[in-house]
Amino acid sequence: MSTIYNSKMSRRESLKRIGTMGAVIMVGGIPVACDTAEPEVVSLSSTPIQGHWPEIELEAITGPTYGTDPIISNPTVPWSLTLTDVQRDQLAVLSDIICPADERGPSATAVGVPDVIDEWVSAPYASQQRDRVQIINGLQWLDDEAQLRFNANFVSASSQQQIKIVEDIAYRSQYDAPEFEQGARFFSRLRRLVFGAYFSSPEGIEDIGYMGNVAIVGEYPGPTEEAMSHIRQVADSLGLPPITEYVVK
Amino acid sequence: MASFEGFEYEVIIVGSGAGGGMAAHVLTEAGIKVLLLEAGRDYDPVTETPMFQQGHEAPLRGVSTSDKNFGYYDATVDGGWQVPGEPYSEAEDSRFMWWRARMLGGRTNHWGRLVPRFTPADFKPFSFDGVAMDWPVGYDEISPWYDRCEEMIGVCGDNPGLDDTPSSSDGVLLPPPKPRVMELLLKSACESLGIAAVPMRRAILTQPKDDRQACFWATPCGRGCSIGAAFQTTTSLLPWAMSSGNLKIVTDAMVREVHLNDEGQASGVTFVNRTNGEDMRIDGDHIILAASACETARLLLNSKSELFPNGLANSSGEVGRNLTDSLGAGVSGYIPALRDRPKYNEDGHTGNHLYIPWWDREGQKKGTLNFSRGYHFEVGARFGSPGMGIAGSTDGYGKDAKDEIRSNYGTNIGLSLRGEMLVSDDCYCEIDEDTTDQWGIPVLKFHWKWSDQEINQVAHGLEWGRKIIEAMGGIVNNPDRTAEEAIEEGGQIIHEVGTTRMGDDPATSVCNQWGQTWDVDNLYVMDGGVFTTNPHKNCTLTILTLAMRNASRLAEQLTA
Repeated sequence: MSTIYNSKMSRRESLKRIGTMGAVIMVGGIPVACDTAEPEVVSLSSTPIQGHWPEIELEAITGPTYGTDPIISNPTVPWSLTLTDVQRDQLAVLSDIICPADERGPSATAVGVPDVIDEWVSAPYASQQRDRVQIINGLQWLDDEAQLRFNANFVSASSQQQIKIVEDIAYRSQYDAPEFEQGARFFSRLRRLVFGAYFSSPEGIEDIGYMGNVAIVGEYPGPTEEAMSHIRQVADSLGLPPITEYVVK
Repeated sequence: MASFEGFEYEVIIVGSGAGGGMAAHVLTEAGIKVLLLEAGRDYDPVTETPMFQQGHEAPLRGVSTSDKNFGYYDATVDGGWQVPGEPYSEAEDSRFMWWRARMLGGRTNHWGRLVPRFTPADFKPFSFDGVAMDWPVGYDEISPWYDRCEEMIGVCGDNPGLDDTPSSSDGVLLPPPKPRVMELLLKSACESLGIAAVPMRRAILTQPKDDRQACFWATPCGRGCSIGAAFQTTTSLLPWAMSSGNLKIVTDAMVREVHLNDEGQASGVTFVNRTNGEDMRIDGDHIILAASACETARLLLNSKSELFPNGLANSSGEVGRNLTDSLGAGVSGYIPALRDRPKYNEDGHTGNHLYIPWWDREGQKKGTLNFSRGYHFEVGARFGSPGMGIAGSTDGYGKDAKDEIRSNYGTNIGLSLRGEMLVSDDCYCEIDEDTTDQWGIPVLKFHWKWSDQEINQVAHGLEWGRKIIEAMGGIVNNPDRTAEEAIEEGGQIIHEVGTTRMGDDPATSVCNQWGQTWDVDNLYVMDGGVFTTNPHKNCTLTILTLAMRNASRLAEQLTA
């Protein structure tokens, strides 16, 4: 069992956990249109990497996908989770550094973000398998970096030490620093996954203020008076013609 | 009268999507017995549609995968850009994407339900600008059929009276939903540029109609609609036709060949039972092909005989040629003035409430544009259900990053260009003699090449899209992207038509204006294959309308 992270995988209980670490980087298959695709793809640049990067090679996950005709009104996940307890603990720490609790919403781990990421990187689809390579290498890099700097694993390092490392890879401008490029690209990808998983959770949906997905009887109510008043001000400040409600002809 | 499993019928229809569904309804309502063959499985949106399920309930938060190209909840069964076991090929240097579904109702189960009418000029493009071929029918003749079709399927929208938006008769349209605030800002920005944003016509019931319920303003239409508010044949035309007692539907029936008798008449078809791989040959007095433009062309090209060695009804050599799709390109941006804007429910009918019709026919008349025809912009700008892409380009970490995402929510706008490409000798499909599908049926090979027409049109659209977003105070994403980079792949807009085009001349067209093939007079095409050209207005309304008109004529002949 994980020592830090309490899984929120109640609805995923049917999934059994297995660990698989092996060889071969999976890049086969049809490119998948994926709404989370990072603008910058995983760098496979031929220039030698400065600093260190684990270059862990992973055996492709080849288990069942959900297929082209799943029962979409009753979703299930047919693949097993694959991250180790150590990796999940790292993800838990990182997720909450990226997305901490604040006055408007809970933390990433409180809504089960590491479970979502485990499900994500364990999926036998090409684009998730590319993420898996990047995430697993990134997690190992964090441990290696923590060892080099503080003689500790990332998870057992102090919060201050963890933040010192994160500060070196948390910004896209750090793609330009050869020793941190790979780490920074990993962090960018992880940031998107963490916030995507957080804000698409029930608590995240409430946090961000999405008010749809409810049945309304009769006409669509349209904007509130507050929203109309705001958009009129915006148009005015942009020097645009006044906002008028569309009148059906 | 032929018979299958004890059911006697006069007409075979191949395909249960827009064209086949409409033909089945019209014919059975007139008392004609119809056998409908559908390649895909049986499908019932009432029980199978995920309504209200959210991303977090689906694998991978519902994102697109190679199994479900439009996301987990998309209605498409056993399809998308690839159908398992049923490949297609592309010629060297050609890229074409072919979306198919293998389900009752075909692609009507997941389409966008955008239903603009073609204009008088759209039907007579050659007369208007001297390019391509006129349709053998004109707007005045089709207009009353548009009314009848819109009335039947249920269309919400308006008659703004613009050059690019022909009006429906009084009382035909259902009221459109109120625009969202970003659409109102867009409308205002468009006004400042001298162009108009008006209600999008969609096949969505904004009021109850027959046994279908009104939209309850939730759940993306691409999943299908269990309450029948978003039009698809599986909640309307097909159940209506079934209730007449005159229809038998056979699913998992993939037609491989249309047979010809010694008199040169179509005499029946052979289909593969996709559940066991066995062939079944059946007779038919009249045969309607509505398998989708490319699938119908494939079927004709694969139906070879002494009389038609190059494919059935192909004496013109035009079967598979004249293939077009809509042009697609996107322009997007971010409106800083809308950060932290007031929240409210912006689901609406889940599509765009307003759109920007084509505004510059005058420019073409005067020769100020370097392309023919035109395009429209569809609009994506609302508080959507947050998904895996919500972080956008947010940098850093911690509370600052979290707050940044919250503030940016609902500030992005996307304009999707949908334009008319011209019929070209470079774009067509033919049989790939080297490849068969899992049923042993030879597959299609696609040839595709954009011309300056398309590139110039997209360049114009990028310039205007950016101008519109900037007028909204927006910051444009990828401001330097070229038209060559922005143009989407052939087929990607899923508006492929033209492969069995109709015309006035049997030497240059496959069908006459009734969708009847010139070569075989009991063989009809009632899908998008009959389109003579491909105006930028989304094709399904016109497929439905032509099928209604042409099946009505056939019904009159068969009941006379």
